[in-house]
Amino acid sequence: MNLLRIYVKSILRGRKVLIYTFLLCFGLIIYVPFIMIMLRSVGKNWFGRLWLPPELTLDWYRWAVEVTKIFRITANTLIIAVIAVAISTLIGIPTGWAFGRRKIPGKELLMAMILLPRMIPPIAYALGIAQVFYRLHLVNTHFGVALAHVAICAPYAILVLSATIEGLDERVLEASAVCGANRFKTFFHVILPLILPGILTSIIFTFTASYNEFTLTLMTYGKDTVTLPVRTYLAIGEGYWEVTSAMSIILVIPSIFVLFMIQRQVTPEKLVGGFKGV
Amino acid sequence: MNDYMIELRDVTKRFGSIVANNRINLGIRRGELMTLLGPSGCGKTTSLRCITGHNIPDEGKVFIDGIDVTDVPTHKRELGMVFQNFALFPHMTVFGNVEFPLMIRGINKRERGELVEEALQLIRMEEYRSHHPRQLSGGQQQRVGLARALVYRPKVLLLDEPLSNLDAKLREEMRFEIRDLIDRMGITAVYVTHDQAEALALSDRVAVMNRGKIEQIGTPTEIYDSPQSRFIADFIGLSDFLEGTVSSIRSDRGAAIVKVDDLEIQVVAGPNMEVGKRALLFVRPNNVELFSKTHEGGTNTFPGEVEKITYLGDRNDYRIKLSNNIRLRVQSDSKALFRVGEEVKVCLLPDQCRVIV
Amino acid sequence: MRRGSNLRSTGVTLSLLLPGLVCFFGLFFYPMMVTVVRSLRPEGSDTGWTLVNYISFLSTTKARSVIVLTFMLSLSATLLSILFSVALALILRKKLGGHRFFRLTMLIPRVVPGLIGALGLLLLFGSRGWFNLLVMGVFPFVEKPIQINYTVPGLILFYTWLYFPFTALTTLSALESLDPGIEEAADVAGANKWHVLRYVILPLIMPGILAGSVLTFMAAFGAFSIPLIAGGNYRPLSVEIYKQIDLTPARWSAASARAMIMAMLQVIFLTIYMRILRRRSR
Repeated sequence: MNLLRIYVKSILRGRKVLIYTFLLCFGLIIYVPFIMIMLRSVGKNWFGRLWLPPELTLDWYRWAVEVTKIFRITANTLIIAVIAVAISTLIGIPTGWAFGRRKIPGKELLMAMILLPRMIPPIAYALGIAQVFYRLHLVNTHFGVALAHVAICAPYAILVLSATIEGLDERVLEASAVCGANRFKTFFHVILPLILPGILTSIIFTFTASYNEFTLTLMTYGKDTVTLPVRTYLAIGEGYWEVTSAMSIILVIPSIFVLFMIQRQVTPEKLVGGFKGV
Repeated sequence: MNDYMIELRDVTKRFGSIVANNRINLGIRRGELMTLLGPSGCGKTTSLRCITGHNIPDEGKVFIDGIDVTDVPTHKRELGMVFQNFALFPHMTVFGNVEFPLMIRGINKRERGELVEEALQLIRMEEYRSHHPRQLSGGQQQRVGLARALVYRPKVLLLDEPLSNLDAKLREEMRFEIRDLIDRMGITAVYVTHDQAEALALSDRVAVMNRGKIEQIGTPTEIYDSPQSRFIADFIGLSDFLEGTVSSIRSDRGAAIVKVDDLEIQVVAGPNMEVGKRALLFVRPNNVELFSKTHEGGTNTFPGEVEKITYLGDRNDYRIKLSNNIRLRVQSDSKALFRVGEEVKVCLLPDQCRVIV
Repeated sequence: MRRGSNLRSTGVTLSLLLPGLVCFFGLFFYPMMVTVVRSLRPEGSDTGWTLVNYISFLSTTKARSVIVLTFMLSLSATLLSILFSVALALILRKKLGGHRFFRLTMLIPRVVPGLIGALGLLLLFGSRGWFNLLVMGVFPFVEKPIQINYTVPGLILFYTWLYFPFTALTTLSALESLDPGIEEAADVAGANKWHVLRYVILPLIMPGILAGSVLTFMAAFGAFSIPLIAGGNYRPLSVEIYKQIDLTPARWSAASARAMIMAMLQVIFLTIYMRILRRRSR
């Protein structure tokens, strides 16, 4: 304890220098891995103790496109993500509405139940999903893989949307009813625009979850539904690190785009939020 | 040694381009309760934070007990402070909160217990010692805040709008309680508030601040009766202002005549008044008397017409038109009632009419 | 009449909840039940009940080492994340120049696919990676590259890299929702920075830290892709499960039994953790 105390004191004394050193190290450990991938994806004959690759090449990207059929795989990934996002959002809006606005006995318990897939290791129910989907011939179809993703995406959507809908101002809805709008009109002209930011947030998060999902895909994919994360895993297994790096760079671009969206659209804290009450 | 417990010398503090404190000079005597009074944004809180050390002045020096503390960190300044939002430690009991400053100072447990009990008795909160702050009412929380600030006998007690989060009735009770506590401890205190009634009721001296500067320092009576600027007259209490020129001075009677339009008003003569010079005359609305139009009049009695009446319970608030350019606000007993449009006589009591030059 | 409208309202609520419930039961509950049943069937058979899948796994010494490894990895990563997050949050709270950039940086491990993060870390800490080049350059007595990849400390580092944002974000938001007046009160009362941290800030943000660290722990406990590619010979439970169905013929019953054990361990641990958390925040 005393040692810690002295240490903290010294940090506080020489603080600016130490603080910036800390932040620098933090920045380095987060970003350098990506620089390493980037260098590996364009380097040739990079052996031994060299800081930078001696020759540059785009061969690995060509390989990634030709051999691993990266465009096919990207298309797979996106199709699956779009289906998963659409289903999750369609589940999330009514269920989120029920949680946000209607009286439900034992609401918290029910919510905890809905969120259970986020608490149990995915591999545990991925085993079951794989067996069920085999029987239903859903394995190796885009819809099947997307449906498996919904298991993990829908809780996200419900969580985000119920919070948004709960935050709706009751008076606005009443005002709309007073103005003579029927339920249908109220929904499309008043409610939908109001919850649109929430829907967008939910879409961003479910998309990220589906795009990055590995475990559930690995259990349900087939040769026609290889996604980017699975292909990356297979490539690492095959030992082609350069090609894997090139693929990773392609795979990471949408993630950076998402990061940009998150920063612009929503408070990043929501990315992990919603678990405090469980 | 001088007799100031706290002294600010030429303290200037800027936030970006805003000058929050502009060359503040302020001396607070030992055992005195000094109030910093002013509208929000006037720099009173900045001054207080210069005393605590949460703001470090850009220029100037701060002295506590004759020692230059400008560069001394807050925790070594031996101060006690009470906050507007109470700022009690939510994870500690009442006892823990009051004990905290003693624990930090490494006082042994037995002595700590005695001192805390003593402090709790002082604020009559002994039964609440194991409650948490959120279980207490606002007034109780602020009393605990006081106990926490006083328990280690600091040199100075600082109070930052301690009553503004309480409801009106409680506020008045707490005023006297705080004053009483400070008197009993004989401690020097600095009290920051925007509430003029609070300042006048509590303080030994008041420093009125405006736009980062101190406009006037004086006892509550001095501040109320002879404000030195229009701002102060306007900010403290209600005032009618009339602009005119000094037409004659009768120094033998201590009076002067100010001509406002064609009305000749007798006022209390002040220093540096000169014949022919412009003068701003002010009078408190409750120092103006209203009579019916048949009243025969005397000094400073003028005819007028009632334009508007607002009922305030114990008084009525009239707006009286004296001439086309001059309107007066008058407050008087609600027993004598005049009607809108009625012609009346207005008497501005000569010894209550003062001039700000 | 009243009763009728009540019934109708219940009906509306139920039909609104329906999609969520269908999703829960169809994609989570039913598969879990399938897994439970499968774990109780003899390998390769659809009839008969047996506990042999559990017994044969749990009776091996390997089982114990796998479970201990899983816990050890996730607990160490959680503790490291807490230490790191508290320091980072205390710094970022000050809103120094560039703090927005670092706030965004904090999210990166959560936004990019975990596999890529792991790949980058493997490259960085590999024998030819920049880390070892730097260490060997700075300390001449280090002659051989330090082995980090495929070791337990390496895995802990990778886990921390990937899962600390959960803890860091909740810690930071707890810290920022603190009333600054409370710290000033402690400060005026004579507490130096260490005292303020120890007696005021840390106790007050503890619920936030714990809430975030639960997420970090859960993610680390269930981590699959990272140990799969970066674990080498160290296999936590998730990889152990996968290896059972990666065999030919796949051993579904054995895998299911292991998955049930893993799920139960996680639920038990979470329950204990939540209980501590509730007591703490009371």
